[in-house]
Amino acid sequence: MLEIKPIFNSLLRSKAGAIMLLIQIAITTAIVSNAAFIAKDRIDFLSQETGYPEDEIFSFTTMTFDKELDIVQKFEETETMLRNIPGVKNASLFNAVPLSGSGSAGGLSLKPATEEGPDVRAAYFLADENALDTLGVNLLEGRNFRPDEVIMSASRDVFPEVTIITQALGLELFPTGDALGKTVYFGVAPLKIIGIAEPMKSAWLKDSRPDNVSIIPFVGASIFQKIIVRTEPEQRTAIMRQIEDLMIQDHNKRVIIGLQGMDEDKRDNNASDILMLRMLITLIIVLVLITGLGIFGLTVFNINKRTKQIGTRRALGARKSAIVRYFLIENAIICVFGLVLGSIAAIFMGQLLLENYSMPALDTFYVLMTALFVFIASLLSVVMPATKAANISPSIATRSI
Amino acid sequence: MLSMKNISKVYQTEKVQTHALRDFNLEVKEGEFIAVTGPSGSGKTTFLNIAGMLEPFSGGEFMLDNVNVGSLSDNERADLRNQKIGFIFQGFNLIPDLSLYENIEVPLRYRGIKAAERKLRIEECLEKVGLASRAKHLPQQLSGGQQQRVAIARALAGKPRFLLADEPTGNLDSLMARQVMELLENINSEGSTIIMVTHDQELARRAPRNIQVVDGQLADFTLYQNKSSDSVAERVQQSMAEV
Repeated sequence: MLEIKPIFNSLLRSKAGAIMLLIQIAITTAIVSNAAFIAKDRIDFLSQETGYPEDEIFSFTTMTFDKELDIVQKFEETETMLRNIPGVKNASLFNAVPLSGSGSAGGLSLKPATEEGPDVRAAYFLADENALDTLGVNLLEGRNFRPDEVIMSASRDVFPEVTIITQALGLELFPTGDALGKTVYFGVAPLKIIGIAEPMKSAWLKDSRPDNVSIIPFVGASIFQKIIVRTEPEQRTAIMRQIEDLMIQDHNKRVIIGLQGMDEDKRDNNASDILMLRMLITLIIVLVLITGLGIFGLTVFNINKRTKQIGTRRALGARKSAIVRYFLIENAIICVFGLVLGSIAAIFMGQLLLENYSMPALDTFYVLMTALFVFIASLLSVVMPATKAANISPSIATRSI
Repeated sequence: MLSMKNISKVYQTEKVQTHALRDFNLEVKEGEFIAVTGPSGSGKTTFLNIAGMLEPFSGGEFMLDNVNVGSLSDNERADLRNQKIGFIFQGFNLIPDLSLYENIEVPLRYRGIKAAERKLRIEECLEKVGLASRAKHLPQQLSGGQQQRVAIARALAGKPRFLLADEPTGNLDSLMARQVMELLENINSEGSTIIMVTHDQELARRAPRNIQVVDGQLADFTLYQNKSSDSVAERVQQSMAEV
């Protein structure tokens, strides 16, 4: 026995409170569905597969101030020293660290720079033959660099002739999928593609082409040198703790800076997204709580205002459950109108965000889920005061106030 | 049809026990019109609340149409109220946001009566109280007397065996009070049993049977013309003097 019609009529006759609540529900639905959608988008972004075993990798920079030193030769010894530390899987010299927000990118062309030709944006890492293994990335096709293909030089007079690229980059350069064995140009330098690697990200997750990565076997030994080390995951912290001492032992005229795990690098680099995510989640929780409290408060207010009416209804034969049902139905009616209005507002707001802030288009699924969530939260907020109302004694009907 | 034996009601606060009713005995026969009078605080309203199953009693036995009320659950009491009892309150207790039609509909909905029959009954009852043309009005658009007639229509709509009226004319001027009283008399003459609590001695005298509640006990004039208990009679005279 549902009393929708008389409850609806009764609401129409005393609209003010109901309309306030309706607007609150609508605003909550509109904001929460967009916030939840953006939050989900950020979570997807932050938890996306990077291609690296981030918890096994760390990096640091050495600054050498020994002017007499043969840097190229010293770094080969250093690399060997690092690889021999128990728990270290591999180590390699790099010009930049993936996901760190700092690196190099340029265009890879099908023609040398002197001629006009298609040009594809790609991030490049200059590293040695240990690069792929150190990054934990496998080859899909082709082969790794041979040691004799790696150029170690302080100048760029001699430049490598080979490269390994990611599949995404290969497909963009050669849409037919036959990149292996082809030649591309880095400026004027021709590079033969000898290997196609599994997906991995460049230094910037927010790059327009974060999946276009090329590795070029070149170590420009300089006084500033980045080194990436991959360890057994459970030993990384211990190794990171002793790395500075080991490096100084290896050569005492150097300074170690920027020692950081790859996951930490990624977190620092995406701090604004993490902050945004936290703020969005806070916003969602606060809004839902406020709406829940609003509904709770309005129901309590309504009950206090209608004590006599509730007693009278009980006297006229309403069971306790009928009183609870009355408030649930009343709330559900307000909710349905609020949710319809809120859903329209949500879609409209999503449209504005799409047009003005280049956000991805709002998925209607989020609006529906938010509506459902707000509906349930609002009914839950009513249950307690409504149960209290049901316990009002019918004898109140005969008491004159 | 209504029988109370040794009913007592004790209100318990932290330290004080108040006996609102004690050893209260009453037999009501079908078709009676009983006026209940008594000084303020004597237990009239408590008696009416217990008779209407609006509040539980502390001791004794209360039979309503051969149902032992003391053994019923809250839901069973609500259903029994809905089916057997029509209430008329001093303050009318109409629901302000509902039209007259919807107000009368409330107890019928709780009984699960179908819409078509509800309509028939509501129209019939509004006709009976002379307000058929105002079904869509809200209570606040009516005078006090009219509101009480709507409340009577609401009480009648469920075709209850008992009408319990709590000071039905208490908030009305004498003209309106007389109209309401006439309406109750008509209803009684059609067979409904009415128990009416009132302060108004004049109205009370119009009822065929008068009972008086004094200090939570019953003094039944009809009964005590034959066999009277001195102590009760004394108390009645005392309280009459106070009034």
